[in-house]
Amino acid sequence: MRNVLTLTLALGLSVCFAQNKQLLYGFDEVPQSLMLNPGTKVPQKKHFGIPFLSQLHINGGSSGVSVFDIFGESNVDINTRIRNKIFELKNSDFFTATEQLEIINFGWRANNEIYFSGGIYQELDFISYFPRDLAILAWEGNRDYLDYPFNLGEISATADLLTVYHFGANKQLTKKLTAGLRVKLYSSMLSARSVNNKGTFVTTLGGPDSPNIYEHTVTNANVTLNTSGIASLDGMDSSEIPGEIIGRAFFGGNFGLGVDLGATYDINNRLSASASLIDVGMIFHGKDAETYEATGTYTLDGIELIFPPLSAGQPTLPYYDNLEDELEEEIPIDTITSGYTQFRPLKVNAALKYSFGKTVGKGAECDCRNMGGGIDRAQAVGAQFYSIFRPKGPQMAGTLFYYRRLWDFLAAKATYTVDSYSFSNVGLALVTDFGKFNFYIAADNLLRYGNLAKAKSVSLQLGFNIKIDEE
Amino acid sequence: MKKNLLKPLMVVFICLLAFACVKDTDFDQAEDIVLTPVVELDLIYFNIEASEFYDDVNQIPIPTLTDTTEIRFLDDTEVQENLRRADFYFKFTNSIPRNFQVDFQFLSEQNDTTYATQTSVAEGSVQTPVITEFEEIIEGDDILQVTMANRIVVSVTIPDANPDLEGTLNLQSKTTYYLEIRDRE
Repeated sequence: MRNVLTLTLALGLSVCFAQNKQLLYGFDEVPQSLMLNPGTKVPQKKHFGIPFLSQLHINGGSSGVSVFDIFGESNVDINTRIRNKIFELKNSDFFTATEQLEIINFGWRANNEIYFSGGIYQELDFISYFPRDLAILAWEGNRDYLDYPFNLGEISATADLLTVYHFGANKQLTKKLTAGLRVKLYSSMLSARSVNNKGTFVTTLGGPDSPNIYEHTVTNANVTLNTSGIASLDGMDSSEIPGEIIGRAFFGGNFGLGVDLGATYDINNRLSASASLIDVGMIFHGKDAETYEATGTYTLDGIELIFPPLSAGQPTLPYYDNLEDELEEEIPIDTITSGYTQFRPLKVNAALKYSFGKTVGKGAECDCRNMGGGIDRAQAVGAQFYSIFRPKGPQMAGTLFYYRRLWDFLAAKATYTVDSYSFSNVGLALVTDFGKFNFYIAADNLLRYGNLAKAKSVSLQLGFNIKIDEE
Repeated sequence: MKKNLLKPLMVVFICLLAFACVKDTDFDQAEDIVLTPVVELDLIYFNIEASEFYDDVNQIPIPTLTDTTEIRFLDDTEVQENLRRADFYFKFTNSIPRNFQVDFQFLSEQNDTTYATQTSVAEGSVQTPVITEFEEIIEGDDILQVTMANRIVVSVTIPDANPDLEGTLNLQSKTTYYLEIRDRE
């Protein structure tokens, strides 16, 4: 129990991960590998995910800091450690958290040899870049940073809670080529994002013409926050909110459309290449959308007293109100209720796989019905590439993997991944088929499981399916 | 051989997941986290002409000029809880050939004076203005008094005035706020 609690805490603090499922990609024994490449090879005839249990995916990570960096037992004061980290982190460092829960997942091979699959899953996706300048300002104040322009543009974060309804088709088109397509309907429950912000804040000593000692200047501010599904929650009783949000999961929120594309090509009977594009799509936030936008330039000099001649009892000028009005006029915060369009974070996967060892399953070296096609073998090695488009550009990862079919009912895949978090991410996935019952578990950053506090990212996927193989 | 390898492998993997833990950490340290920003912020400024101390209509001097401004954030709960010290810095540039007495009075919402301080400004001349600096460091119990106020009353008193008096009294001022922000239960 204590472990679970600390794990939750650890994930809570190091909230962040990049949706890379390097362990499941191309691991065809797991029906969910279809979700990562609609054009993967599907060995089974049918599959049904156990509702709510067919895939749980949790991912948390932060590119520059681990829980241990902050909360590790140490003689150094925690505030010193935080301060050191703030200065060490860059504004391209990020925190992210992803969670996906499959509600339903099913698939079957139709008579025309097309493998149809569909389902519903719920996704939470959060990323925030580290706003380094604002962290310095909050931690240190501006006294030691006169003339230093704090960059307001470092604010960059998105958060989404959505349900995805999907349906796809997969077919082996030729002996060498398998391709697939999946259509997705997104139903957004909550969404917020603040990206592409601009502006600086600087405190300078006033010059000879300046009315006061300092000039506090915001220059060319353009800070925008898009929200959808959030404005209407304001003022709602907190006990009503969960029900309201769950209601939106079923066609109550804002909609979007997207596709997944993918293909696998057998170069020869040992070498195979594959690639996929996941979430090529967008969500149209029209309902309950509110955008807040602050733009402008303003210099604050303090309050000027003008000592107006007043008769007794007469109030003086409302200097403070005037100052606030002036600020609101120069940097107005507009609330815009028109909708906005949000692109889904596009994910790109690609892999090259070399199979060796004895052949397994159907297909033998001289299978006349499968000339030139790939053959399932007991072992494989290969390389994978993964990229996800984030507000400040793509985040990429490279993976080397070793696959081994140990027995008919057990296969394993081990990965070594280099990404924004670390150069030492080793992962392992196991999939078992006991009769029709299919169970898989995949976890990365295994070297850190001895002490998760030192991990900068943690990713875990597990699930149960019923799988009916080809006779 | 395969069998021999597999079992330990599975055991190790499952153990890793089952016994994954967070070690050598002390989350109680969260209570020790304190943000200590030091914020420099302009306060008030003014320019008083010497002629303002003389009522031309009634032909009498006006010995004291008074004005008030709200400093609304000063009695915010956050400021009351987190402000440890405030250094008020005033810089007078005087080209009027008179000394001045300047009073600063902090008033609460209920019009009670919670804190007061005063200084005198040296006389100058139009040709050679004289700078007088005044700093008031407020900490300890006094901070509680200051953060009960949300207005500052400034009174400028001249010993005597006549219609021929020339020059300007200029004030520039700023405050350095020393904050100590921690998680409070």
